[in-house]
Amino acid sequence: MSTAPQPAPLPERPMPVPTRESQAYWDGLRDGKLMLQHCASCGKVRHYPRPVCPHCFSMESEFKAAPLTGKVHTWTVCHHPFNFFFKAQSPFIVALVDMDAGVRINAPLRGIAEGDLEIGQRVTLAFEPITKDITLPYFT
Amino acid sequence: MAHALREKAAISGVGDTAYTRGTTKSGLALQLEASLKAIEDAGLSPRDIDGVVPYFPGGGIAEDFIANLGLPDLTLSLFVPMGGATCVAAIQSAAMAVATGVCKNVLISVGRTGYSGARVSTRLQQFPQFALAAEFEAPIGMFAPAQLYAQGARRHMELYGTTARHFAEVAVKTREHAILNGNVVMNKPLTVEEHHASRMISDPFRLFDCSLESDGGAAIIVSAADRARDLKKPLVTIMGVAEGHPESPASIAQRPDLLDFGLTKASARGYAMAGVGPKDIDVAEIYDCFTFTVLRQLEILGFCKTGEGGPFVMDGRIGIGGELPINTHGGLLSQGHVVGLNHVIELTRQLRCEAGKAQVKEAEVGLVTGYGDMGDGSLAILRRAA
Repeated sequence: MSTAPQPAPLPERPMPVPTRESQAYWDGLRDGKLMLQHCASCGKVRHYPRPVCPHCFSMESEFKAAPLTGKVHTWTVCHHPFNFFFKAQSPFIVALVDMDAGVRINAPLRGIAEGDLEIGQRVTLAFEPITKDITLPYFT
Repeated sequence: MAHALREKAAISGVGDTAYTRGTTKSGLALQLEASLKAIEDAGLSPRDIDGVVPYFPGGGIAEDFIANLGLPDLTLSLFVPMGGATCVAAIQSAAMAVATGVCKNVLISVGRTGYSGARVSTRLQQFPQFALAAEFEAPIGMFAPAQLYAQGARRHMELYGTTARHFAEVAVKTREHAILNGNVVMNKPLTVEEHHASRMISDPFRLFDCSLESDGGAAIIVSAADRARDLKKPLVTIMGVAEGHPESPASIAQRPDLLDFGLTKASARGYAMAGVGPKDIDVAEIYDCFTFTVLRQLEILGFCKTGEGGPFVMDGRIGIGGELPINTHGGLLSQGHVVGLNHVIELTRQLRCEAGKAQVKEAEVGLVTGYGDMGDGSLAILRRAA
């Protein structure tokens, strides 16, 4: 048996733990849809999911499929991987996007060079399955 | 009519440990060491402390202070979980307690092993305030404040033309002040070129735009102003103090205006309580988790207009001898990261004329801010009343 030191295993990707509030959102991503929470009383959209509508205080809500399009609000380029799971893919762009549905989504932006980024740029949400239950969003 | 709390409370004692990277002491030991220094600085005995507001989460809790300091009758134990806004916001709670007679002397303290203990990327995942970030942002690689705040900084640059040169000015001036102080982690000069050459952490933040991960402890005592007048040190009163919570407080991403912090609300109330405005401020200690955060807070505080924070810090304005000296101790960027309680300590020392080589001449009224978690804010305005 070799006694050579083995490199430490890379940490695992931090995974979302869906809650009773957010389960429908994560189920939507798994099914290739952006499901957003709308107040069943006043109709306003809210994200991230939560029990009460802050506009009319209704506790009734429904998740509806939203368009996948939006425009760039701002971005960062992550160079230092605070969790070393992300080391191999660093640097990577994370764009904060004003979705046409009226909420923001923060997700990696792929296929666009850092120097070409600008506020207002149109992007589209895409889906990257990670496990059988969890799919994460990214933009192209 | 003046605000009911204006100048009813005072900072009667301050104390801090050595600021280091590396220690064998526990966070609790650092916190107690600083606490004993602050108590001595006030000319009090540990037995005189009847209120404690320890920084939370992390460090000691009320039980630790009773067990270690032999507190005979603790009448108030509070947590103010606002991240970096905690220490200044805690002054509001403490001032209310001493002004109403619930307490005589409240101890606010921090002990931190941010370098030798758990580092930032693991620590934050345990905070309830970070639960949304943990569920929705950590899985895509966004963990740390450096990443979460970088998007706001980038937007400010795109909208207003703020540049890395402006960021560098904050880093360089803060370092100059740290060297004057001496009890600091970063004690070598920093140039603009070295700032620009430092490695990128999360664009637009480079290494020298980011605050330190360090070890150290800090503490202050808040007492009723009429009692503090008879204590050992010159009287420094609390003219105004306020905390503020932004919209979408647990998620920067969902905030309608990414550049709006809790400080927007806190500053309006804090100035009103104090009865002064930005023009009356002789020295300011601004929470500097990042260089950019300083620029933006200067705008929110009314020292310049929105979008002008970059040009404002140039030309020596924020240095000792400048129009508005800021972070005269070296801040979180160069002195050490004790969640901004070192900013309160420094402002108190400035107003007592105890700031040594970094003393701002004739400093009479000063301002200190806190900025925490996803944008909580706090503000205190102090005055030399002796």
